Amino acid sequence: MSAVPAIADVSYDALLEDPYPIFRRVRDTAPAVFVAAANLTLVTRFDDIMRIERDSATYSSVNPASLVNKVMGPTFMRKDGAEHAAGRKAVEPAFRPGIIKEHWAPKFAAICERLIDKLVEAGEADLYSALAAPMASLSLMEMIGFKEIAWETLALWSQSLIDGAGNYSRDAEIDRKAMEAGAGIDTAIEAVLDHHRAHSNPSILSAMVHADPPMPIEEIRANIKVIIGGGLNEPRDAILTLTLGLLADPDQKESVLAKPELWPTAFEEAVRWISPIGMYPRRVAREVDLSGVTLPEGLQIGLCVGAANRDDRRFADPDRFDIFRAKQSHLAFGAGPHFCAGTWVSRQTVGRIMVPMLFERLANLRLRDDTPPLVRGWVFRGPISLPVRWDA
Amino acid sequence: MPKIIFINADGATREVVASTGQSVMEAALAAGVSGIVAECNGAAACATCHCYFDSNAGCTGEIGEHENEMLDFAASERTADSRLSCQVRVVAEMEGMTIRVPSVQ
Ligand code: HEM
Ligand code: FES
Repeated sequence: MSAVPAIADVSYDALLEDPYPIFRRVRDTAPAVFVAAANLTLVTRFDDIMRIERDSATYSSVNPASLVNKVMGPTFMRKDGAEHAAGRKAVEPAFRPGIIKEHWAPKFAAICERLIDKLVEAGEADLYSALAAPMASLSLMEMIGFKEIAWETLALWSQSLIDGAGNYSRDAEIDRKAMEAGAGIDTAIEAVLDHHRAHSNPSILSAMVHADPPMPIEEIRANIKVIIGGGLNEPRDAILTLTLGLLADPDQKESVLAKPELWPTAFEEAVRWISPIGMYPRRVAREVDLSGVTLPEGLQIGLCVGAANRDDRRFADPDRFDIFRAKQSHLAFGAGPHFCAGTWVSRQTVGRIMVPMLFERLANLRLRDDTPPLVRGWVFRGPISLPVRWDA
Repeated sequence: MPKIIFINADGATREVVASTGQSVMEAALAAGVSGIVAECNGAAACATCHCYFDSNAGCTGEIGEHENEMLDFAASERTADSRLSCQVRVVAEMEGMTIRVPSVQ
């Protein structure tokens, strides 16, 4: 067994710009490597992450030092065992497969229809701001059970919370914005809670107040914040990544348009290729040997699913977007007890409704030669700009 | 400690001595049965532990509401024998039982 090696010669900007060469280097160096720029020990191999996610007694989601607790409050996402399961079970009714198909899918289709109606005549747009961001925000708002909030407001809250949870340099302005977002969310919850108590419905807030036992208010506040911080970016980025993958490869695009039954496969390949959540944290609760490297008790580790999803031990030619690759499960939705609660709603709506509708309604959709798309991030990663044209 | 026989889609069989109380999924993973992915490790959230049990066996327990809906998302065809193996407990009565593993999860 050996100690965790370190990599000190990569910059944080390089990680944001293109983490994949760095992930590859880490993966080829050791099962766990301390990367100074991230100030974190990164785990990047597929099999190691799968093993870790089956052992929450050793690799805990509880972390007293995490800013998530400070910024958002006591959330089930950062708990283990029975406490985690209770919170998860409370929100489950809103994520039921039947509810997704009968309730959320038609609602999200209607939102998408309206957004496309508004832009169809323009003939060009940046799909980030014109479609994906409002789409993700408006559909999350419906799922939570909020009323009459501008999509930009929810998007701002989401970003402010994410920035706050990652603010380890304790920048005062970032802290202030995160507090402000938190206060805004508490007020928005307060405004609708009586309604949800009186009228049981498929929303997440309704599920929380009607759970047995009902979720305490401080947990409702914390969990809604986590869902706002962690349920908006990913569908937004998945919409854009799937669109980008297809637009950049006309042959694959034509295949999917000719055979719509390929959409679900194309969606899975998009989130494997550029995973919207590239990394999430765990804490080593007791000293352990991970594939030959000793991880000491208390060590913070980052599970880089964005790296595992490009592990060439599992995926051939992993950097390529290829909807025809051999079917293999990936880790874009995590694994283990914290496996994404929003997996199926995303699969059913992003991959089967939103992106197909985009290609159907915007004729001859194409990238622009003069303004290329921009993709950025490593903890969260996706296109931050996707300028396109179509025949109006 | 009943003996359970897993049969893969390609016909390969595997005998597993399972401990009562654990889930069938856990018993299969511990024995390295191929074809069961179990991404969510038993949270009934991923539908990648789908297996076919003899629906007349009488020892596989009630199917839960959530499990029932989740099975509609399974990658292989759903039949009257379909269950999420993480939601089925191993009991002594399973001695000699065969469980079929689908071709895709
Ligand atoms: C393509 C879209 C999405 C991707 C790739 C994604 C990815 C993930 C990942 C990797 C995790 C595990 C994080 C961890 O263990 O720390 C997670 C957890 C979670 N996700 Fe998603 N997510 C997506 C969409 C959504 C949506 C739309 C919602 C809500 C409406 C959502 C709600 C959640 C919740 C509540 C958890 C915490 C589960 C738990 O701790 O038990 N996700 N997601
Ligand atoms: S292991 Fe995920 S549903 Fe059974």
